[in-house]
Amino acid sequence: MDSARRLGRAQIDVLAQLGVSTVLLGGIYALIAVGLTLIFGIMRVVNFAHGEFLMLGMYAAFWAYDLAALDPYLVLLGAIPLFFAVGLLTYVLVMRGVIHASHNAQIFTTVGLSIALQNVALVVWTGDFRTLRPWHSSVVIRVLGTAFNLSQVVAFAIAVALTLALFAFMKWTHSGRVMRATAQDHDAATLMGIDTDRVYRLTFAIGIACVGAAGVLVSPLYAVYPTAGLQFVLLAYVVVVLGGLGDMVGAMLGSLIVAAVEVLGSYVFGVAWKEVFYFVLFIAVLVFRPAGLFGQRGAETLGV
Amino acid sequence: MRRRTIVVTTLAVVLGASVAHGETLSGEYKVGVLEPLTGALAGEGKRHLEGYEIVRDLINERGGVMGKKLVFVVADAPDPTAAASEANRLITREGVKIITGTFSSRLCGAASEAAARHDVIYWETSCVDPRFNKRGLATVFRTEIDATGFGWYNIEFIAKHLAPRFNLKPNQLKIAFLSEDSSYGQGVTESARLRAKQEFGMQEVAAEYYSFTSINDFTPIITRFKQLNPDVVHHIGYTNDAPLFWRQAREQNFLFKALVHAGATGYGSPDFGRALGNDANGVFALLEPGPGFRLEALKPEGQKLEREFREAVQKRTGSYPLGGHQLAGSGLWLLKVVLDRAKSDDLAKFRDAVMSLDLPVGSMINGWGVKFDANGQNSNARVQHYMLQWQNGQLVTVWPEEFTTNRAKWIPLGAWDARK
Repeated sequence: MDSARRLGRAQIDVLAQLGVSTVLLGGIYALIAVGLTLIFGIMRVVNFAHGEFLMLGMYAAFWAYDLAALDPYLVLLGAIPLFFAVGLLTYVLVMRGVIHASHNAQIFTTVGLSIALQNVALVVWTGDFRTLRPWHSSVVIRVLGTAFNLSQVVAFAIAVALTLALFAFMKWTHSGRVMRATAQDHDAATLMGIDTDRVYRLTFAIGIACVGAAGVLVSPLYAVYPTAGLQFVLLAYVVVVLGGLGDMVGAMLGSLIVAAVEVLGSYVFGVAWKEVFYFVLFIAVLVFRPAGLFGQRGAETLGV
Repeated sequence: MRRRTIVVTTLAVVLGASVAHGETLSGEYKVGVLEPLTGALAGEGKRHLEGYEIVRDLINERGGVMGKKLVFVVADAPDPTAAASEANRLITREGVKIITGTFSSRLCGAASEAAARHDVIYWETSCVDPRFNKRGLATVFRTEIDATGFGWYNIEFIAKHLAPRFNLKPNQLKIAFLSEDSSYGQGVTESARLRAKQEFGMQEVAAEYYSFTSINDFTPIITRFKQLNPDVVHHIGYTNDAPLFWRQAREQNFLFKALVHAGATGYGSPDFGRALGNDANGVFALLEPGPGFRLEALKPEGQKLEREFREAVQKRTGSYPLGGHQLAGSGLWLLKVVLDRAKSDDLAKFRDAVMSLDLPVGSMINGWGVKFDANGQNSNARVQHYMLQWQNGQLVTVWPEEFTTNRAKWIPLGAWDARK
């Protein structure tokens, strides 16, 4: 028998480590997916440039650290309003023009935006792989036979906080209620006197602020380069579909499921299989539960 | 005195330096140079072009090619489509009979295919796609070894240098293979696996492939590898995943005796050293010769050539030659040697000249030798490669020991915090 799969004390440590890895990796995915699910859920726009805003967040953290020795957690405070503004600007300049156009036009627009941003980054910052190493990225925490990195724990904690905050915002604030109303029926919302353009602008800005923050938080963990966003963006789509469009808590749970599939699949069958597993899961969800694992039946057609 | 003259004359002939300095050359000889000069591969493409230009000037100071001044027609090949169409343009519009380039495995296939259709010589100096020379194209030559050659050298190093220093026989070594799944990664890894098993009977405990465009976490693999307890990890990584693996291996306290990589990406990239600082200590990467390289170990003519090459690179860039300079420069010099011998760019004569060359290791730039196979590929054993090791922020030459003043350290690798 494969010595790696024997049961015993060592095997318990292995399971514990795989569990910890799942939770922490899930946190990173949730961080990225939460902004996407917001934009996808409320605006019904498939934002293919989402990964590029992540990349811009990573570069913001890199340059702040490299040029001014600013810790990413400090940069985070400035990055949230900065990316909120970037989101507003992108909406006004690009997205407003296609918000009522066909899905095809929206896809072409956001793919174009994605490629343009990648190439701007390539021209301005070259294709070098850059890394920042703040003190917390080399702090290793060891608990009961498991080991993990402090930056990862912080990213996870902020992912949970951000998810809950957005969930609360959507549920209990007036703006949140207006956003949900717009998502459910754009025309009725307009008739009720809701300024849907303002709702979309706000939604897009919040979504981009979330992913910009995510970029800053993952920058100590992953290399920063012009196509860094592509590393995560496909996964974010799987997560969003799994969790249900516009469902914050669903995105968190979806992230954990994707991470679990990835970690266990990699360990048991080999890492080459991980994408097979979660894309099979992705297709299965689309076929059998198109509103997402936690979504309401029929919700997928809302506002489309 | 007379004997010395004969020696000097012989050397001059061997080097193809048949015309003395300053002598005027009669006419020009035009060669097409195809490199990615824009787009994602531009950085490395420009470095290759710089290497070509440095050696072109060196060649023209030493008699040109076939008595003519060597000149370039440079074309930009950012992607395979452009590589093919630019190759066509160089041939039909510029009328070149020889094209050289194109560093990337993404480009060399398409460009050489186009050249072969016109019966134009395609002289590749650095792409390593193993399929390049296996298409039965008689006009295609490659001076650098292919990816399978990298696997060959890695196992050579593990079996003949590392195993004795671990006090193990090669067949007692447990080796885990991990690789990104590009044609490069697979070429290196599969040839290494084959040689490790068939020639040395090493014990393969794992062989894992992953896509570097989507790998976000190595802890499941590391957890598994920890239980399999390999002596050597053979990891062909790309530039985003290699630092991730190394950082997570440290976090997980995964202990093994050595990690061996091949090529200028991943562990062989300066980005790796910048990412990890002294935490990178101990990693091996197979490359062209780096700091510590002993010129005295080369043949006299190779020494002279290498010294002049280095001085020229130093003068132009202010630094030690980089991989791109070394591959392009060495390949272009060899083209001169062939052309001077063939005295023609006629395909049959050119091919005969290539096949008749038989120079031992230490004769050329990078300490390379020359012996081509019938498929146009320079042989593994002649294209000497070198093991470099990260030592306190620098990638230095450590093997073969006769070629370097540095010695490999941390064998076996100790605890993660003890590699100082």
